Amino acid sequence: MALLEAEQVVMRFGGVVALDNASVDVDPGEVTGLIGPNGAGKTTLFNVVTGLLPPTSGTVKFDGVDITRAGVSRRSQMGIARTFQKLEAFNTLSAFDNVRVAVEKNHRAKWKHQRVNDVAHEMLGKVGLDDVADVTVGTLPTGSARLVELARALACRPRVLLLDEPSSGLNEEETSSIGQLLLELVADKENDLAVLLVEHDMSFVMGVCARIHVLDFGKIIAVGTPFEVQGNEAVRAAYLGGDEFRGAYAGMDE
Amino acid sequence: MIFGVRHSVAVATALGTLAAVIIAVFTWKGAQVTSETFLVTTYIGLFLGALWAMYATGLVVVYTTTGVFNFAQGAIGVFAAFFYWELHVNRGWHSILALFVVVGLFAPALGVVLDIVIMRRLRTASLVVQLMVTVAIMVLLLSVVGDIWEADTARRVPYLFGINNGIDLGPSQLPWHRLIVFVVAIAIAVAMRYLLRRTRIGTAMRAVVDNRELAALNGARPNVVSSTSWALGSMLGALGGILIAPELGLDPATLNNVVIIAFAAAAFGALKNLPMAVIGAMLIGLLRAHTVAWLDFGSDFRFAHLSIAPLLLLFVVIALPQARLEVGRLVHHLRRHERFTKWWEGLIGCGVIILLAVAFSGGWLDFGIWDPGAWGSRELNSANEAMALALIGLSLVPLIGWAGQINFAPLAFAGFGAFVYLKVIGGGWVTFLGLDRLGLDPQDIRDIDNGYWILLVGLLCAPLGALVALPAARLRGLYLALMTMAFAQAMSLIFFPNPWVMPIIGTGRQFPHIELFGVTFNDRRGFFLLLMCVFAVVVYALVMLRRSRYGRRWMAINDSQAAAATLGVPVVWTKVVVYALSAVIAGIAGVFWATVSGNVDSVQGFDLLIGFNIVLLVAAAGVSIPVAGIFLIFIPLFTGLGHRLEDSGNVDFLVTLLDIMTTYGPGMLVLGMVFNPRGAIFEMGRGFSPILPWRSDARAEIAAENAQKREPEIGELGIERPFTPEEVIAIDRRLGILDEVVPKEGYGAARS
Ligand SMILES: Nc1ncnc2c1ncn2[C@@H]1O[C@H](COP(=O)(O)OP(=O)(O)OP(=O)(O)O)[C@@H](O)[C@H]1O
Ligand SMILES: [Mg+2]
Repeated sequence: MALLEAEQVVMRFGGVVALDNASVDVDPGEVTGLIGPNGAGKTTLFNVVTGLLPPTSGTVKFDGVDITRAGVSRRSQMGIARTFQKLEAFNTLSAFDNVRVAVEKNHRAKWKHQRVNDVAHEMLGKVGLDDVADVTVGTLPTGSARLVELARALACRPRVLLLDEPSSGLNEEETSSIGQLLLELVADKENDLAVLLVEHDMSFVMGVCARIHVLDFGKIIAVGTPFEVQGNEAVRAAYLGGDEFRGAYAGMDE
Repeated sequence: MIFGVRHSVAVATALGTLAAVIIAVFTWKGAQVTSETFLVTTYIGLFLGALWAMYATGLVVVYTTTGVFNFAQGAIGVFAAFFYWELHVNRGWHSILALFVVVGLFAPALGVVLDIVIMRRLRTASLVVQLMVTVAIMVLLLSVVGDIWEADTARRVPYLFGINNGIDLGPSQLPWHRLIVFVVAIAIAVAMRYLLRRTRIGTAMRAVVDNRELAALNGARPNVVSSTSWALGSMLGALGGILIAPELGLDPATLNNVVIIAFAAAAFGALKNLPMAVIGAMLIGLLRAHTVAWLDFGSDFRFAHLSIAPLLLLFVVIALPQARLEVGRLVHHLRRHERFTKWWEGLIGCGVIILLAVAFSGGWLDFGIWDPGAWGSRELNSANEAMALALIGLSLVPLIGWAGQINFAPLAFAGFGAFVYLKVIGGGWVTFLGLDRLGLDPQDIRDIDNGYWILLVGLLCAPLGALVALPAARLRGLYLALMTMAFAQAMSLIFFPNPWVMPIIGTGRQFPHIELFGVTFNDRRGFFLLLMCVFAVVVYALVMLRRSRYGRRWMAINDSQAAAATLGVPVVWTKVVVYALSAVIAGIAGVFWATVSGNVDSVQGFDLLIGFNIVLLVAAAGVSIPVAGIFLIFIPLFTGLGHRLEDSGNVDFLVTLLDIMTTYGPGMLVLGMVFNPRGAIFEMGRGFSPILPWRSDARAEIAAENAQKREPEIGELGIERPFTPEEVIAIDRRLGILDEVVPKEGYGAARS
């Protein structure tokens, strides 16, 4: 049984069907990809899983427990953490304080100031933001603010980490170090972490994901290894006209 | 779900009905209900409902199309009613002509001007700024009315076509005026519904609020749309004011309070559903008419029927479904540096406050004008009032300033604190609880140091604050604003007027001099020192709190509630806690506020409008900064100075000037927030940063902003994005081809 399962999720906004019986499952110990063209419903699925949107129908299960009706902060305490595609960092706080909010909420209340600070620094270190710890996030470049969100999510000690386009705003070097970090995190058996990754950068996705779900117009049209998904006719058709796959192939061929 | 109805709706309906039945049973007058009296009461109710529906329609139209909730809707009606009186009664114009000039010309012009000068700029502003600015407009309009049409003459706005002409209904008569009001109100609501749902401009209007850029791409013109809706909203407010004035009398406060009923009605339609809002207004009208007809609350609760709207709002708020946490709505222009005060800075600041206080009140500082040696009882009284108000203002700092939640009821909490204090030190509760049988003497109670009681007052205020916030904390911030306003209104209608609450006994002090640590603060100078010390202590506590995990969490929910929730922060609970804290501070401050004069008129002293002014002044000063409360000194300072100038004779001009500053100051200052949302103190800090060695952060920020503003280098232009019009001008200037005609927007886009 998978750690996180979204089953037959339907999400309607008035006339728009953003998710149409979409089912996604995520296992610990690997990075699972979720790709699809613009407007496919990827972010909507994240919102349903984290509880920000109540689905029209369908269920979300975490560790075998039905959490479809659980509140947002409850789910977070169970171990679901995420980042946002449209930044939701605490702009008036420093990067360090952004992370501290998460640490303080997810570790025992008895924790001393010093320990909270140590953990927060460790998380910032993991994403490579030690230098700007004391800078107000609102004044950081988008890419760094995105990393602050990642550090914040990591500070929640998550069991499932949902990342919504973490590479946008980052340069190639930073992107590959994030990929490296993700692989290290899931490889560490102690963490027992599952990652669900939404990405437009195909070479990044193909590089780190063990399995990939492909979403198109709210429907899951393919599930499989990167290799299987690239060969899938339906996937090619869905991306027709988009450059992303062609770019990815170019990257893979080299 | 119960019978296909949402749980919360079922619960709220049940609670509401239960409350209504219980109240009705206990207050039944015993008058005979005939079908005739019942019908007449019903028609009065429907007529009242129609009037309120008109206001509510204006609110809903503006809110659905611009996203701004207009607290000034009632004040526009007040102004229009007075203007109409001026033209029709005072100048003798024909009623139709006067009506046309006020509703057809003046009101839309006012709406458009408001939109162009202010409202448009609020589109991306935070809720705090949006609300503060509309409240400021409300206060300013009321002040203007008070200045133009002084309260010393009695005025009446006549009914259209007189009260005696109308349809004969047998036992009574239905005047044309009321019939017309009813028909017009319904017609307007239907027309607006049609306009919004069925017409092109209506669709455009609704689309603009959802996504301005997208709507603009599709050919909607956002500025035209928002001006249109402000014009419409303002016309509806004006018409409502003129039509309701004959019924309520031409009194600014009474007329303005109508707006709370309209708020409740609008909330009944979840602020966006026009038909439901109209039904809500009718419901309140019917409840009100039948309450007045059949129930008798006795003289202690003589205003209880006026609190139907606040109560209905409460039940509506309980019924509404939990709001989704919004994502993708970060307020971007507020992203400048939030500076944390260091602990030693806080300590020094508070020390300075106390030293200044000692110096001023002790007469060791001589500034000439004030001649502190001569600080008489009047000046000290002003200063004490100021400090007590400032203390109340401090209660808003963690709430509005840090957590970004609104509270329009600081004075209601303060009043509650004063009330609890009065009851607690009186010792009457000892006998009431039967503790005297355990050997406790009420007299002993009076000997206990007041400090303990003040702390107890604080503790008792916390649950009240939590209770007020609890139902609305699940909803969008606007509902908390409405709830606190309704709470303040209900308190001043039901609670404070009750003679049992703060009875005024003879000429003696109702609130005794405070006794702390064995010292009785019975002279004004000593009390001033005490207030300054309390202020400094609270400021310091707040500064420390902000640096703590709680402060961080509050600022986090202010920035993004969705993100905070996904990190495990219980958002609703966090908000409730901040309200409780705010109520604690306000309650304690209330004790001091009441003790300044010793006798508070509980109705006047804790009035809703004064509360608004406190909120406005603190907000204008910069509500995230603890010492912003000091700004409240303006109110009594100006009055105090005014007194002095009057005493010294022939400076009428200055007295008038101070008068104007007192009345218009708060409102004007808040309008400044449109441009400086962080408030005056913040901007002053930035302004003085070049000479303040420790403000290197502000200097860096200014430098960064200036770097952005400098004229672009040609070499770095237009590579990845279209030229901005400024850049086009810069390029053309360098190339020497600048035409007289300055290119308009779209020029750069066309080139790229
Ligand atoms: N709150 C909302 N209200 C109405 N429609 C919405 C809402 N959120 C998403 N949608 C619609 O649902 C669809 C899916 O959107 P979503 O943001 O999930 O796509 P996505 O796969 O994340 O796209 P992208 O790659 O651009 O991020 C889109 O058509 C979008 O317009
Ligand atoms: Mg997305």
